[in-house]
Amino acid sequence: MITLMAWRNIWRNPARSLIIMSSIALGLFAGISVLGLYKGMMKSRVRTVIDKEVGHIQIHHSLFSDDLEAGYLLPSKKNLEGLRNLPAVKEVCYRTLAPAMLSTATGSAGVILLGIDPDAEKRVSGLDKKLIEGTYFSGKTRNPVLIGKKLADKLKLHLRSKVVVMFTDSANNMISAACRVAGIFESENAPLDQRSVYIPSQIINHLLGMEQASHEMCILLHTDESLEDTYLQMKNLFPLLKIEKWQDLSPETALLVDVANQYSIIIITIIMLALAFGIINTMLMAILERTREIGMLMALGMSKSKVFALILSETLYLTLAGFPFGLFFSWTTITYFNRVGINLSAFREELMKSFGFSQIVYPEFPSEQLTRVVLIVVSTALISGLFPALKALSLKPVDALRK
Amino acid sequence: MDDLTVIDAHNISKIYNADTIPVYAVNNVHLHLNRGEFTALVGPSGSGKTTLLNLIGGLDKPDAGSIKIKGIDITKLTDAELIEFRLRHIGFVFQSFNLIPVLTAKENVELIMHLQHTPAKERNARIKQLFHEIQLEDKLNSRPSELSGGQQQRVAVARALASKPKFVLADEPTANLDTQSASNLLDIMDRLNREENITFLFSTHDQRVIERARRVITLVDGKIFSDTMPARTF
Repeated sequence: MITLMAWRNIWRNPARSLIIMSSIALGLFAGISVLGLYKGMMKSRVRTVIDKEVGHIQIHHSLFSDDLEAGYLLPSKKNLEGLRNLPAVKEVCYRTLAPAMLSTATGSAGVILLGIDPDAEKRVSGLDKKLIEGTYFSGKTRNPVLIGKKLADKLKLHLRSKVVVMFTDSANNMISAACRVAGIFESENAPLDQRSVYIPSQIINHLLGMEQASHEMCILLHTDESLEDTYLQMKNLFPLLKIEKWQDLSPETALLVDVANQYSIIIITIIMLALAFGIINTMLMAILERTREIGMLMALGMSKSKVFALILSETLYLTLAGFPFGLFFSWTTITYFNRVGINLSAFREELMKSFGFSQIVYPEFPSEQLTRVVLIVVSTALISGLFPALKALSLKPVDALRK
Repeated sequence: MDDLTVIDAHNISKIYNADTIPVYAVNNVHLHLNRGEFTALVGPSGSGKTTLLNLIGGLDKPDAGSIKIKGIDITKLTDAELIEFRLRHIGFVFQSFNLIPVLTAKENVELIMHLQHTPAKERNARIKQLFHEIQLEDKLNSRPSELSGGQQQRVAVARALASKPKFVLADEPTANLDTQSASNLLDIMDRLNREENITFLFSTHDQRVIERARRVITLVDGKIFSDTMPARTF
């Protein structure tokens, strides 16, 4: 009977109730859309990190990462074959890395020279797809290098521009080599474009005097879900090597994902808190209008707990009635934009790139966050109902009946 | 206290503005009501009728004195105990009809039995009986807004009786009714009083009610001025 009364009570003033329900639906729509947008952005960023930057797992000599010394090499590829053959592993590529100074007639810049196997590299990081000018190591250029657009712009380099790279070998001897720009690439990560210079590994290995050697093994898995298990397996197989997941290699991305999740929940909480004032106002108005009726119910013998439950139920219904609509509208909108994407280039394309974000975002419905959203909405309803319910309890039947 | 006594109020007083200029709404009143009485509480406006009803109904607490209902001193009960006491033992009929507008006539009456946790079968039987007594069997599913003032007040009487109370307090029950509706309502209350021995105590200005009462208590300035049992012709 209390639930029936509560439900009918919220329809005593349909216009007022519909306004509150609509605000809740709109608030939820806004909150869930923000969650969906963040999820899409973060997912896209994580995909970029895994598929185009660092892979799922990277393996180095345990001391190599400290100062990138050429002497800290990985075991031979034959010895690492066991890792390549793990069932979860999809693709593998080896890289030789050298911190270098790239100089031109107009300037110089500190870069990381990445010696790669072009075929393996394109399967792991899709480097060939990032090329916007030139060819992917297919021409007859001597000592070809691929440089990022950002670096090319900074040093005013073009296709076939001559550059000199200087680096040290394992014995700390200075080595320099003249190379030609064979291609210019552009990725979604501008800082990475500015410091990465790709060169076939046989050339850099020859210059370093260490044929067949490599500093880095980059591994792409079939699925993200197998990351943890595969990581542990690899740790067991090669406990002396430094094995890192993408979260260790790109901690800023992992942090960003975490922070974005927290932010989006904070945003929903703020939206719902703002709505709570509207709900409180509506319920206080309802109680003010029904003071005499509430007094009469108490006079007839309705206990305080039942009056409390009645007011709280009304608030809960008022709030939850808007919930499915907010959910439906956000789901429909997110599903639509998930298909067509949202072009955020208007919001400073360069800035987006400097943080490694794609300019087209495909929002995703945050189904895994729904439990939290439901909890926030229910908490909002309960908190909003508390004050009006306590106000109703403070009424004395004899005074209320006089109103 | 004998089995016949329903209300036994001793030296009850209710004072407003006790700190400044005290106003005695009820001043040292003694009231004794036996089972089956049909009593009218009369007096000019401001004489303390409603205050006295509120005190006897446990809606308000006296500043002095004791009120025993069937031997229980309700002035010593806590708020929660008073609510439960009212639910179980007292029926109320208010001046303006005071039905819950979102509930049907049947649901308004059923609400009290719900609060008492009366089983559904018993509830339905009681509703059938009560609506027969108030002659509104065809209005069970009507909302209060679909009923006339007189019909609403009859539903209010049915609601007051739903909990099988020891007595019914009615605060000017005919004040907002036309002559015919008031007469119908009084017929019903009179019949319930005589046939089911239900005790009624109502405050009223209405001469029609006073004429039907078997005992008339007149209040003036919060004190009982007279307590008479006029002769009645049936």
